[in-house]
Amino acid sequence: MKAVLAPVEGAAVGLAAVPDPVFSAGMVGPGAAIDPLRGPGKAVAPIAGKIMKLHPHAYVIVGDDGKGVLVHLGIDTVQLKGEGFQLLAAEGDRVSAGQPVVAWDPSEIEAGGRSPVCPVIALDATAASVRDVVAGRVRAGDELFRWI
Amino acid sequence: MPERRVTVVAEVGLHARPAATFVRAATKAPMDISVARASGDGAPINGKSILQILALDVKQDETIVITAEGEGADAVLDELAGIAGSP
Repeated sequence: MKAVLAPVEGAAVGLAAVPDPVFSAGMVGPGAAIDPLRGPGKAVAPIAGKIMKLHPHAYVIVGDDGKGVLVHLGIDTVQLKGEGFQLLAAEGDRVSAGQPVVAWDPSEIEAGGRSPVCPVIALDATAASVRDVVAGRVRAGDELFRWI
Repeated sequence: MPERRVTVVAEVGLHARPAATFVRAATKAPMDISVARASGDGAPINGKSILQILALDVKQDETIVITAEGEGADAVLDELAGIAGSP
């Protein structure tokens, strides 16, 4: 079992609330989503491990147990080609859970006509292995769900 | 071993929707599916793992080789090549 932390502050909502069927239908994997607090903020690592992939708009952290968690900062944000995101770590870095990875401002994403909602996905997990998904207000670093 | 070489044309590469669709189809196949860069860069990965597909990080215009063996492999490979090569 591992605790997966909220990468950003905001309102924890179900994946079904994500305005992108790839995530809302669970195609990428099970997990949760956060409607982030608007304003400048830092997205943190949801688990301890290695930054296996770091894009400005999304990152994957893999723990020593081989389990990987994807954090996607907003929807269709790949189209921004990094604009509005500042990397605070590098691909291959080892990070602790809760360590800042990317600085961004969800209000800028929203102003650009995109949803700033952040899916947090347990990769290669079965739906049944994601438990105790939190709903409502969370701060970055609070527990978001458990992966058994 | 049956294989398909396919160039990824989607602007986002083999990420997001194409990656999820690919893995969903690969997972349904009864045999192992491996994916590698045609350039030989990096080791082949398990095509049923979204984690490994995201790690492979295939970009637009890169060519991959998808491999499968066993009964029905050609049909599986045709489907996977169609997904990976779709815009």
